[in-house]
Amino acid sequence: MKLDIPKERTFSATASLPKRIMAFLADMLIIATIMVPFGKILEGAMPKGLSIIEASMRLSSDYSGGLILMYFSISALAFLYFYLMESNMGQSIGKKIFSMHIVSDNGQLKGWQVAVRNLFLVPLFPFDLLVIVDPAFMLFTKTNQRLSEILSRTRVVQTYSLDLYGSNLPV
Amino acid sequence: MRGNKIDLSAKQEPRFRWGFAVFVVLLLLAISFMLAGVISLFSGFDEGSLGSNVALISINGAIVGDDDSGYFFESVTSSADAVEMIEKADRNPGIKAIILEINSPGGSAVASEEIVNAVKKTNKTTVAWIREMGASGAYWVASSADYVVANRMSVTGSIGVVGSYLEFPGLLEEYNVTYRRLVSGKYKDIGSPYKEMTEEENEVFQQALDAMRDYFAGDVAKNRKMSRKDIDKVANGLFYLGAQAKDLGLVDEIGGKEEVTAYIEKKEGIKAEIAEYKKEKTLLDIFGEAAAKQSFFIGKGVGASFFDRKIISAISITA
Repeated sequence: MKLDIPKERTFSATASLPKRIMAFLADMLIIATIMVPFGKILEGAMPKGLSIIEASMRLSSDYSGGLILMYFSISALAFLYFYLMESNMGQSIGKKIFSMHIVSDNGQLKGWQVAVRNLFLVPLFPFDLLVIVDPAFMLFTKTNQRLSEILSRTRVVQTYSLDLYGSNLPV
Repeated sequence: MRGNKIDLSAKQEPRFRWGFAVFVVLLLLAISFMLAGVISLFSGFDEGSLGSNVALISINGAIVGDDDSGYFFESVTSSADAVEMIEKADRNPGIKAIILEINSPGGSAVASEEIVNAVKKTNKTTVAWIREMGASGAYWVASSADYVVANRMSVTGSIGVVGSYLEFPGLLEEYNVTYRRLVSGKYKDIGSPYKEMTEEENEVFQQALDAMRDYFAGDVAKNRKMSRKDIDKVANGLFYLGAQAKDLGLVDEIGGKEEVTAYIEKKEGIKAEIAEYKKEKTLLDIFGEAAAKQSFFIGKGVGASFFDRKIISAISITA
């Protein structure tokens, strides 16, 4: 007798908080690499022989215009990173490493949803408040969703595999 | 698994395309390099000063108060810019010494003094490096540095003040034009090009120039720690070659960049890493300059069709 039983079956569930934090840190590491040219400029312009606070204050008074431009550029690049990755593949490199991806409550993940879920990267009021509000929402919602995720009707899920022996193993 | 929403519909994880991911990262890195370059260029970020401990500030061409007064093709140094750069270098604790690279015939007495005062105010070691020319006001600036190095064939000195203007009452007479003098205050129109200067006016002018020269020479004497008698011997407006200036005590050492660097390294006990401090041009400056040059040529062309002579009627006092 030949039984046609699938060897494994996958299903998804809300991604755990520690995993999401790890994935975010991995993405931040990649973004930091992208920002190296800006870092080099700041390093060169940073007054030497002062404490980091004094040097930063001096730097911000000498180059206020340039620093504002740099701040906007860095934010735009970070936003572009998440937007291009998530709208095309439903996951960033960090999420891929930790076996997570984004799903839309409306079915197909749309570009506007990806844009809204990354609004916390826009350095303008009131979006900049999301940097504080978003993580707070993650802690207090059952589905570990950020406010911008709720607004964009998206969730980050983790993929599990169910093997024949009944143990759930993350893929 | 608090609050976990389990989806058993067996959706597969989306297919991750590593090629696309690497492309995005490289693309953003390229954009980052471009943006950083543009911002650095137009926002005055001093990437060149990375790890530097010596600031090099150029005093090139005539010394003027502002560089927006029509010096289209002449190389000029604005005292405002030079002072700003000196103060910027002074504020940077990593900078141990300032080199003033001088190649200037002098210029406005007031502008020269502004730079002199800024050099004196700094707590850093200052070295003047006279290349081809460091005369008059430019020498005044050089003398305010702690140490002066000059090329043996450079032109230095020329300590004195020039006051000059054109006088053309004869020309007016030729064209039957009368200069009607209506002044309240005896010397109000002193230096007017439309009348001959009287002996008395000449005396007044000369006294003012002598006073300026005295101040100039006195300050140079103080800077170079020379006696008033010694400075008066050389402060006659004459220029000296670098080698002569060294014998007269106007210069400390004959040489170039190597000698300047060696002096700083010995005095400060550092390995000199030099960064050029210069006023960065903003995008607006570049466009403005280009537009000004265009306008200058158009204006010159139009003007030339009306006049075939240049008439200059301003008194110029330079050091």
